[in-house]
Amino acid sequence: MTLFKTPQLPNPERSEIELGFLPLLDCAPLVIAKEKGFFAENGLAVSLSKEGSWASIRDKVVLGLLDGAQMLAGIPLASTLGLNSPKVAMVTAFNIGLNGKAITLSNALLNELDQLSTDNRLPTAEGLKQIIQKRKQKGEARLTLAMVYHYSTHNYLLRYWLSDAGIDPDKDINLIVVPPQQMAQSMKKGMIDGYCAGEPWNSVAQMEQIGTPIISGYEIWNNCPDKVFAVTKTWADNYPATHKAIICALIMAADWLDQPQHYNEAIEILNQPDYLDNTLQTSDNDRPLLRQTHFFKYAAGYPWRSHALWFLHQMQQCQQLGQRVDLKAIATQVYQPEIFREVATQLGIPHPTIDCKPEGFHNSEWILQGNAGAVTMGSDLFFNGATFDPNGC
Amino acid sequence: MAQFLLKLLISNMNPQVLMTATHTTPERVLVIDNDAARSALLEQALRDQGYDVICRLENTAGLINKVEQIKPDIIIIELDSPDRDVLEHMATLNSHIPRPVVMFAEEGDTETIQQAIKAGVSAYVVNGMSADRIQSIMSVAAARFREFQALRNELNDVRTELEDRKQVEQAKRLIMKHQKCTEEQAYSSIRKLAMDKGEPMTKVARNIISVLEMLD
Repeated sequence: MTLFKTPQLPNPERSEIELGFLPLLDCAPLVIAKEKGFFAENGLAVSLSKEGSWASIRDKVVLGLLDGAQMLAGIPLASTLGLNSPKVAMVTAFNIGLNGKAITLSNALLNELDQLSTDNRLPTAEGLKQIIQKRKQKGEARLTLAMVYHYSTHNYLLRYWLSDAGIDPDKDINLIVVPPQQMAQSMKKGMIDGYCAGEPWNSVAQMEQIGTPIISGYEIWNNCPDKVFAVTKTWADNYPATHKAIICALIMAADWLDQPQHYNEAIEILNQPDYLDNTLQTSDNDRPLLRQTHFFKYAAGYPWRSHALWFLHQMQQCQQLGQRVDLKAIATQVYQPEIFREVATQLGIPHPTIDCKPEGFHNSEWILQGNAGAVTMGSDLFFNGATFDPNGC
Repeated sequence: MAQFLLKLLISNMNPQVLMTATHTTPERVLVIDNDAARSALLEQALRDQGYDVICRLENTAGLINKVEQIKPDIIIIELDSPDRDVLEHMATLNSHIPRPVVMFAEEGDTETIQQAIKAGVSAYVVNGMSADRIQSIMSVAAARFREFQALRNELNDVRTELEDRKQVEQAKRLIMKHQKCTEEQAYSSIRKLAMDKGEPMTKVARNIISVLEMLD
């Protein structure tokens, strides 16, 4: 484990805090920070509230019924912009996890893909495109694919992958939202032909032989971000020391989670009824899930403004956002690496000094000169060889 | 408990006809709730106020078609329902689909929305619906959800009490059988043990059952 310096952070203004989460693998840093005492170590008495939908998390944070929560990265951005939600400025100083998603297709659709002459499975959606065209010519029903929320990484990754093969996600297929816990069953009933969701919902389909994950989020974009820990801007302004204490506990929990010797214990804790309630199997199958998802490694917790910009670009691509919005200003407002840096400096861990990084340029680990030492970064390739250069934001 | 049910019945039988007179086309309310009993309560309360109510109890399957077919002015849905994320996606695609009520928090009464959320209800409303109507429907929904929760808590208490009594009964019978004593003697020995140990009688009874059943 990383040796942390004892942080000299100001005392939190509040000790009793309530944070929201959805029972998914990446609620792990919040759960571990509570169960392994990292919140307590930072002067916080945290209660965790299990929520049923992203909408519920947003409402409760907006109305101040929760102090903060695990959120899809798109939610604080959409909320700040007032997209189909009240216009309430939010901020994040912590990214929760890299990777951990996949696209899963039904057995029937995979059979259809197998019957195509060439090997059309990977890594592009070329085969799907052929099936879509064939169905269109025969006047058959359109394919229906699902994702978990309209401002989700899953939506953007799925669209990115489909668009690359020339599939228009708004015209060529039906793209709907299905709650993650209902994905596998909806596919079994033939209501959807495939989906993009986080773990454990891809493995579930595979274990129950309903479908097979055909491309992982990692393969679409190496080490792509997904969720964040977010609070409203007003809350962050009112309780800056409490905010830092939370971020500090989350960094410590993230480091704990990335240690292979803790995988079994982590799964055991997460499987408790208050959290994932035994949706993670305690077999060897689940350890690879934890292994693929980085919470600490590769500066995983760092809230890169370039990541925010990538999400905002995708929002524009799928018409969620007008062309006139100043993306850079929104990214700068919502993503606050400054707070992360301040906490990381106190903990004495190497961390980036820059706010943005280009994506799609590294095919293996690389070294970033940081503060308090060099930071080992992960590969950042896109499946189609594209690059994303935020132009020194 | 019986008193509570009665109170609930009376409040349901008292339609506020005044509300009906104030508007000509009643708002169409869709209630999405997997709890059949609660949804029936809410349906009746809203009908009494003159709303056109449709309840839907099945799961997510077909939700999209149903909403498009019914074209509700307002949707009342349990706060924690995962179906909310499905509804919100629909709202981004079609401007006729109701939007999260929290978006209207600034124009309307934040207090009502907060109270509703605390009671576990959320709502989706179409553009142009007056803040008054939203507030009135949400207040009714929140009140019914709270009442239902109270009723459920009361039921749970009664159930636990019954369960506790059953255990003491069973322990008593086992002692009578093994010690060949009277019912009264068996009862007082459980009570004495509970007092000596400073433990509730139910816990003592459970221990007695587990020990004596092993001997049987």
